[in-house]
Amino acid sequence: MSTSTKSIAIAVMALSMMAACGGGGTDAASAGPPGAPTLEKETGGSKAKLLTEADVTLGDIDNGMAEKGKTTYDVKCQACHSMGENRVVGPGWKGITTRRKPEWIMNMILNVDVMLAEDAEAQKQLEQCLVRMPNQNLSMEEARQVLEFMRTL
Amino acid sequence: MKRPLLFTTGTMALAGLAFVLVNSLPGCRPSTTQTVVTGDAASRVYVKPGTHDEFYNMVSGGFSGQLAVYGLPSGRLLREVPVFSVDPETGYGYSEETKGMLMTSHGFIPWDDSHHPELSQTNGIPDGKWCFINGNNTPRIALIDMGTFRTHSIIEIPNSAGNHSSPFTTGNSEYVVAGTRFSVPMGDDAQRDVPISSYKETFKGTVSFIHPEPETGKMSIAFQIVTPAVDFDLSHAGKGPSEGWFFFSCYNTEQAYSLLEVNASQRDKDFIMAVNWKMAEQLAKEGKGKRVPGRHYSNWWNDKTHSSETTVVEDVLQLDPKEHPGLLYFMPCPKSPHGCDVDPTGKYIVGSGKLAALIPVFSFEKMQKAIAANELEGDFAGIPVLKYESVLHGEVKKPGLGPLHTEFDANGNAYTSFFVSSEIVKWNVEKLEVLDRVPTYYSIGHLCVPGGDSKQPWGKYVIAYNKITKDRYLPTGPELTQSAQLYSIDGDKMELLLDFPTTGEPHYAQAIPADLVKPREVKFFKIEENQHPYVAKGEKEARVERKGNEVHVWMTSIRSHFAPDNIEGVKLGDEVYFHVTNLEQDWDVPHGFAIKGAANAELLIMPGETQTLKWVPTRVGVWPMYCTDFCSALHQEMQGYVRVSPANSNVPLKGETVSVDAGV
Amino acid sequence: MRLHPLSRVLLALAALALALNLVMPIWRIDLMAPQYPEGLFLQIFHDRFTGDIDKINGLNHYIGMAHIKDEMFPEFGIMRYAFYLLIAWGLFTAAMGRRGVLLSWLFAIAAFIIWAVWDMYVWGYKYGHDLDPRAAIKVEGMAYQPPLIGHKQLLNFDAWSTPDVGGWALFSCSAVAAIIFAVEWRRAHRAARSV
Repeated sequence: MSTSTKSIAIAVMALSMMAACGGGGTDAASAGPPGAPTLEKETGGSKAKLLTEADVTLGDIDNGMAEKGKTTYDVKCQACHSMGENRVVGPGWKGITTRRKPEWIMNMILNVDVMLAEDAEAQKQLEQCLVRMPNQNLSMEEARQVLEFMRTL
Repeated sequence: MKRPLLFTTGTMALAGLAFVLVNSLPGCRPSTTQTVVTGDAASRVYVKPGTHDEFYNMVSGGFSGQLAVYGLPSGRLLREVPVFSVDPETGYGYSEETKGMLMTSHGFIPWDDSHHPELSQTNGIPDGKWCFINGNNTPRIALIDMGTFRTHSIIEIPNSAGNHSSPFTTGNSEYVVAGTRFSVPMGDDAQRDVPISSYKETFKGTVSFIHPEPETGKMSIAFQIVTPAVDFDLSHAGKGPSEGWFFFSCYNTEQAYSLLEVNASQRDKDFIMAVNWKMAEQLAKEGKGKRVPGRHYSNWWNDKTHSSETTVVEDVLQLDPKEHPGLLYFMPCPKSPHGCDVDPTGKYIVGSGKLAALIPVFSFEKMQKAIAANELEGDFAGIPVLKYESVLHGEVKKPGLGPLHTEFDANGNAYTSFFVSSEIVKWNVEKLEVLDRVPTYYSIGHLCVPGGDSKQPWGKYVIAYNKITKDRYLPTGPELTQSAQLYSIDGDKMELLLDFPTTGEPHYAQAIPADLVKPREVKFFKIEENQHPYVAKGEKEARVERKGNEVHVWMTSIRSHFAPDNIEGVKLGDEVYFHVTNLEQDWDVPHGFAIKGAANAELLIMPGETQTLKWVPTRVGVWPMYCTDFCSALHQEMQGYVRVSPANSNVPLKGETVSVDAGV
Repeated sequence: MRLHPLSRVLLALAALALALNLVMPIWRIDLMAPQYPEGLFLQIFHDRFTGDIDKINGLNHYIGMAHIKDEMFPEFGIMRYAFYLLIAWGLFTAAMGRRGVLLSWLFAIAAFIIWAVWDMYVWGYKYGHDLDPRAAIKVEGMAYQPPLIGHKQLLNFDAWSTPDVGGWALFSCSAVAAIIFAVEWRRAHRAARSV
């Protein structure tokens, strides 16, 4: 068992606890037999709160960040998103930052399950593409780098 | 007056005759044994949809060679972990990477008979890190990582035949043991080519101590102790006061080599062998052992390269107890002991003579005194035999028939399975009093109490693993399901709560609170850390290359397409290797891969992992490939083609994914 | 004084009922244990055994009991003649209608039953006690003699020994014969007094 796995597990546990504290309304703990396991909602960290406009600030394009974003794109995104305007599985990225707000893009990358459940625009996109965008488990930093890379297209 | 009397009597006589005749047909005999299940049993095993079981139950798959994982108390089958047998469902033993896990000194072995799961321990308590299980037929021990529920390493045991007395662990999993069921001749070819009838002179037994590296889980044989020729059956480590000792039950002290059914059941007492493993460890460190021939394979799964790594070792360090007095002692134990179980306090060792009508309980303290006072009955092939009376704590009298195996709760009670009388008997270890008994349906083998062989039993349940199922389930032809039964041990009386079917033959099993395991679970493999030599980190790296007659395809899969999915230029006579990397980075999104005519199985590739399927086309044509694991609404679209041309064709090799511009 | 015609008809029927022993099982042994929910049984005919003989032999093998085989019982070769004789005797009694003959038939049936029970006891004793010293399971002081009639606990088995169709026919037939004898005896005595 690597320590990184452990820390992921701990993070997930912490998140699920937060969800429970936030009034998730699970009745499993009270209704189950004594000593029975409580219901854990482990959904790969997607229970984190959505970002708002204030959370994402854009400055001048940082080429170093964009380059890192490109590396992540090659491994985790390119299979479905082209750098052009054409759709492969998901939409092409050329000009995407002019069509979508930065926090919307960040939320799609970091919290796609919540977005597909709650955001009308995201749902409209799914109707077109028919494939739920996978959660590729990018860190906040990586997502921000990908956003920077998008801005260069 | 007279006539009616006679008439009445005669009629009555006749009616009586008819009555008894009719009555005798169905028989005025007892009805069959009925299962007694108390009213609230259902609610006590009901796990609400969406909620989790309280315990993981790791159950041997028997002759399936695998390890089955159930949830308790529901008895729901969660997973069948491929261990010693190939598994077409996951591609285990079929993919190029996993084939190495099943390599032995006899070559590739696609099957074994798995018997006893044993959880790794820290301070004598199961820690949820690993689960060991033994392969009986081609002697091996496997280590399953409880974070991935995958076989992480397998080591072959040399100079062993029928690895039954295995893989029980010491209190901090310094060692797991392997006691040979069959004694065999050892050494070089000439020493091994002997008449079977020379058993007593030339055959030897061994018990091996295998060390799993705490960080990596790689296993190696630390040392092997040579013993007189007997059959070893089961074993358990001492704990607490008996820490540092290991106990092995052995039968066939008659040293029979034919018709053991009769010839190995003659002596009134066989042995429990006590091994001072701390002393053996010291001797091995001091170089007192001798390296002898013992070619064996040690296979290890690398989570970074997603491939197996094999080490071949030619010899093994052996210790001869005759040269080291104090290393081994025999304790007489009635009638072919099976279970050899140490109670949670570590003070008592329970032997279960499977042909005996009593249970002997040995005292470690008395054993130490007997050794100090040299209270010997004699010796067996040069190994001292302690006096039965000197080492005995006491006997449980007339507990049942055919005691097999004992586990414990935290309140000083033992639970022993009785195969012949088909029951579980609860008794008090200190007082040797039978407290309760409950029938099993039918013919129980092993049993399991969560933590029941450790220092700290969690108790709550005892699970019976039965040898016979008969009428308990819907019949399925001549072969019926195997089965287990869950009993509550919370009260004074054991209560049957649930029957549940199992895969393969359930031999031994262990159970552990889910909370000790769940936090360890790996959800996916990080694609950044993938060091597979043929990984394609992104579709940019997807390609096709030829190396002589080998065609290598770096292929990626993501919902819901492969890249490349059109491959041309493959020729008859080529060997095609599909190295498929799953680019997904989320939990529960495996992709499958299958191609028509593949002479092996599918691949099932976890997120971030790379696996390889070898395909040797046998005919010219265009052949389909597709994803086998439903991945998205467009799963049925996740497919592609491989064009195979004649051997002399000039079709250029290429692999591509052709996208029609769909617009945004 | 001759027997009443109805008595003679009944006696003839009783004698014929004995013939059931030639086609139906006479005795039956049932074994019950948790792991044999359907039970194991053994039926004894006048000339053979039927039932779960192989399973019972397989079990008994552990504790060293002899394997049950038809050849072990010379009784199987001669029992039919005993029944022929008893049936003929009964029919003869009915034909003659004499109380003395009826009494002799009653004694013959009783003698047969006593012999059969004694024979079964001796066999059961031998079967349960003469154990193979090389048996795998030996329980100190334990013998496995099946019950003669009724119930007995043998290790983990509940053993039941009961008459089967033939046995019931035999008992009923002797009961009928005895009742008729009693009734006829009373009838004769009353007749003697009233004369």
